[in-house]
Amino acid sequence: MFDLLNIAIDSAINSGARYSDARILVSKSRSIAAKNGEVENFNESEKIGLGIRALVGSSWGFYSTYNLSKESLISSGKKAFEIAKASAAVSGKETPFADVPVVKDEYTTPHEENPFKVSSTEQIDLLVNSTEQMKKFGSSRSSGRLDFWDTEKWFCSSQGHEIFQNIIESGGGISSLSVGDGETQIRSYPQSFGEYRTGGWEVVKSFEFENQTQRLAEESQRLLVAPQCPEGTMDLILEGSQLALQIHESVGHAIELDRILGWEAAYAGTSHLELDKLNKHKYGSELMNIVADATLPGALATFKYDDEGTPAQRVDIVKEGIWTGVLSGRDSAAIAGVKPGGMVRADGFARLPMVRMTNVGLLPGESSLEEIIESTDNGIYMETNRSWSIDDLRLNFQFGCEVGWVVKNGKIIDMVKNPTYTGITPEFWGNMDMLANEDEWVFWGTPNCGKGQPSQIGHTGHPASPARFKNTRIGVRG
Amino acid sequence: MNTWSELLEDLQKHIPSSVECEIKMMHSKSALTRFANSHIHQNVDEESADIFLTIHKDGKTISRSKNITAIKNSKDFVKEALDSLEKSPKDTTWAGLTGKTESYEGFQKKRESSPEERANLVRDFVDEGKEMNAAGYCSTYLNNFFIWNSNGLNSSDTSSSAFIDGIFRTNTSAGSSHRGAVNINNLDASETGKEAAKLAVDSQNPVDIDPGKYEVILGHEAVSTILVFLSVYGFNAKSKIDGMSPILLNQNQFDEKINLFDTPEDEESIGFKIDASGAKKYNLEIIKNGVPNTYFHTRRTSKELNMENTHHEFFGVDDYFGGIGTNLSLNKGNASEKDMISSVKKGIYINEFWYCRVLDPITQVVTGLNRNGSFLIENGKITKPIGRLRFTQSFITSLSQGNVISVGDTSRYADSEFGEGMLKVPKLHLKEFNFTGGVSG
Repeated sequence: MFDLLNIAIDSAINSGARYSDARILVSKSRSIAAKNGEVENFNESEKIGLGIRALVGSSWGFYSTYNLSKESLISSGKKAFEIAKASAAVSGKETPFADVPVVKDEYTTPHEENPFKVSSTEQIDLLVNSTEQMKKFGSSRSSGRLDFWDTEKWFCSSQGHEIFQNIIESGGGISSLSVGDGETQIRSYPQSFGEYRTGGWEVVKSFEFENQTQRLAEESQRLLVAPQCPEGTMDLILEGSQLALQIHESVGHAIELDRILGWEAAYAGTSHLELDKLNKHKYGSELMNIVADATLPGALATFKYDDEGTPAQRVDIVKEGIWTGVLSGRDSAAIAGVKPGGMVRADGFARLPMVRMTNVGLLPGESSLEEIIESTDNGIYMETNRSWSIDDLRLNFQFGCEVGWVVKNGKIIDMVKNPTYTGITPEFWGNMDMLANEDEWVFWGTPNCGKGQPSQIGHTGHPASPARFKNTRIGVRG
Repeated sequence: MNTWSELLEDLQKHIPSSVECEIKMMHSKSALTRFANSHIHQNVDEESADIFLTIHKDGKTISRSKNITAIKNSKDFVKEALDSLEKSPKDTTWAGLTGKTESYEGFQKKRESSPEERANLVRDFVDEGKEMNAAGYCSTYLNNFFIWNSNGLNSSDTSSSAFIDGIFRTNTSAGSSHRGAVNINNLDASETGKEAAKLAVDSQNPVDIDPGKYEVILGHEAVSTILVFLSVYGFNAKSKIDGMSPILLNQNQFDEKINLFDTPEDEESIGFKIDASGAKKYNLEIIKNGVPNTYFHTRRTSKELNMENTHHEFFGVDDYFGGIGTNLSLNKGNASEKDMISSVKKGIYINEFWYCRVLDPITQVVTGLNRNGSFLIENGKITKPIGRLRFTQSFITSLSQGNVISVGDTSRYADSEFGEGMLKVPKLHLKEFNFTGGVSG
C-alpha cells in the first residue's frame, strides 16, 4: 500500500505541490438495530479508497477515489494539485506547515475479540433479547443498536512518513420509550445514542445490558406520570455522560483552533475564545482541569498518529480553571505559534483531514456522587442527554436530559420529567464546586460529532465523572 | 453506464433464482470549494461508486454494501450475503420488491463542473463585501443511481445540483445567504453575496432585547428549518409507527395559508425522479390549506400502516430511516418583505436559525438560536439589529391556525439544519414565537 500511496504523492509533488500526503483506507462497518424484540436493521459495509491532499499557496487541494490503479493514482495526485491551484483565483497568504517527526511505524488498537470475528448471531441475539425484555417490562417501544468499525489505514507523506494503523471501535446501547397522552419519555443505557470505545466485542459485553432492561422500562413509564421539572435557579448535579456532552459542546468545540482562526465560520461557527487570551482567560472554577489525551487506553479517540502523521499526545486545555491549550493541526498550529497537537483526522478516505477532538476530558475531583448529593440542599440531579443546542460561539447553551431527580436537604426525594438547564459557558463552568473522583470517572464516547463541509462525522472521547454546578437556571420550557 | 451493466451482469450470474434480490449502485462525483477569511482554503473533489445488495429468502433479509474496489469478486460478495442470510432472524416487515412496471430510465451523461468555475463563483461572492470577512462554499454534485431487482425492475436516474452559500462578518455582526440550482450556471453568486453583505452591514452593533413572545418575520433559511423538522420527524411514516409523529392527517392542524407540496416531477427540482426502491416519484400534496394529507412512506411503512406508498424511500442501504420528502415546496403568498415589516407593531426579523434540537417529538417543541441577521421591528420599521436569543417553541404551533399572518411572495431553495436542496420556501410572517433566553442564558 505504501508504494501505491507514494505514486500518488510523487505525482502531486511533480505537478508543483509544496507538500502532499495521502491515505488508503480499508473501512469495514457492521451495524445492527433491533426494536421490540425483532431485528430492524443489519448491515455490513466495506469501502476501500484513496484520499490525497496537496498544499499549494494558501489552499489545500484534496481528491479521493475508489480507483487504485496506477493510472488513477497518478491522475489523483495531479488532480489534488490542480484543485489546490485553482484556488489561486481567491487566494490568501501562503499557509505555513509545522514540522513533526518523520516516522515509519504501525499500531493496532488493543482488543480481546475482534467484533467482526464474533458471530453476528450472538450480537443480534443480545439486542433481540434486551429489547424483548424491555417490551415485556412495559416499554411502548424498546430499541437497541450496536456498531462496530474496523479501519485499516496506510498513511504516507512527501516528507517520508509511512504509518499503518488498525483502529477497532465497538459500542452500542439500548433504550425504552414510553408513549403517554401527548408525550413520550425515554430512558437509555449506557447513554443516549449508545456508548462507544476503542476495543473489541468485550466493550459491548462489559455493558451488561441484561441488568438494565427492567430499570429502563420502569423508569420510562414512571416518567409519564412524574411531575414536570421545577423552574428556577438552583444547584445542578450532572451524571457523567451528560457532563461528557457538556464538555464536548462548551469546551471541545470552542478550543478547536480551526474554529478560532475562522476556518469554520460559515457553518459550525467560530469560538468565544481568542488566541491572545491563551493562558489568561478564566474558563471555569479551580476544579476545572481539562486535558485532550489521545493516548488513553480504550477511550474512543485513542490512536497512535493522527491523519497528518503527528504522534498522539496529551495536551493541557484548562488548568485549574485557566485556558491553556487548543486542538490543532500542522497548519493551524504553525499559524497560531503552538506545537502541533496531533488532532487532525478525517471521516474515511474521501474526506479532507481536519481538526478533531481527541479524548477531551475533565480530570476527576475528590468527592463521590453520594457526597455531592448529601451536601446539596436544593437542586436537581440530571441523567442522560435528550437534547442539546449551543450557539456558534459555544457560549449560550441549553440541554435537556431524560430524567431529573429532585434533591432536597441531601436526599433524592422525587423523579421529575423533561428536565432542562441553560447557561453561559464561562459562568457555568465557574460555578462548578464539586467533582466526583476517579472511581466514577468513565471514558464516555461520542460517535456522532458533525463538522466540516462536506460534512464529516467524528468519533470523540470525553472522560468525565459527575459534578455539581451552583446557581444554574433549570426547567426552561416552551 | 458501462461499469453498472458489467457489474450487474457479473453479479446476476451468482444470484440463485430462489431468492428475491435487489442490486443498486450510486456513482457520485462531488466537489466543494470552501473559503474563509475571504480566501479559498480547502478545495475538495471526490468520486465514489457504492454497491448495495439486498437478498430476501424464507422470510429473512440481508443487506450488504461495498464500494466497487472492495468487491474482490462478485461470487464471494453474493456468497457472503447468502451465508449471512441463513444466520439472520426473521424479517417480519419485509414488503417486497418494486414491480417491473415501475422501471424508469433517467440516466444522462452530464458535464462535471471545474474547480475554476467554482472559484469564479466564490470570487463573485467575496467581491460583494471586500471590506468584510467572507466565509462559505460553492459545491457541485453529479449523482447517477442504478437499480435492478429480481422482479424485473431496471431503473436509473441522474441528478445534478450546485450551491453557493456564505457569510460576511464584521467585528460585531454577520449576514448570510444561500442559493441552490440544478446547474452551476444558474447560480448568481453576486446576488447571494449582496444579500449576505447587506445583512452583515445592517446588523452591526446589535443590542440585547428581553426574551419573551414576539411577532416574527422569518427569512428563507429559518422557514426551511421549521419545515425540514416537520418533514423528517413529523411526516415520516416511521415516526407515526413509532408513536412519535405529531402530524394528524385530514385535520385543520396548520394555518390555511400553509400549502406544502412535494415536487419531484418539476424540472427545476433537485434530486432524483425515483426513490431508493427504483419507483418513480410523483408530485404530491402534503399540506393543503392547512390540512395534512399524507405521510412520507416507504415500502415497509406503507405495508405496516396499510396506506398507499408515496415512494419516499431514502437512498442508502435500506429503508430503516423511513420516508423523507426531499423536494418540498411551500407555496408562495402575496406579501412582500416590505408589506410584512410595515404591518408589525413590535416584532423580530430572523434570517436564520441555528442548532435546533427537538425537546419533545410529539409536540415538536424545538430549541435553537438565531444568527446571521436579526432585527427588531417597531411601528412598521426595522429599528435596530439585535443579538442572540434562544427560542423554545413548538414548530407545529408556530404554523398552527391563526398564527400565520402572511406568506412571502418570493420563493427559493434554502439551506436547513438537515442539508440543502430539499426545500424551496418563501418568507413567513408569524403572530407569535417564544424566545426563552438571551445572552445571559
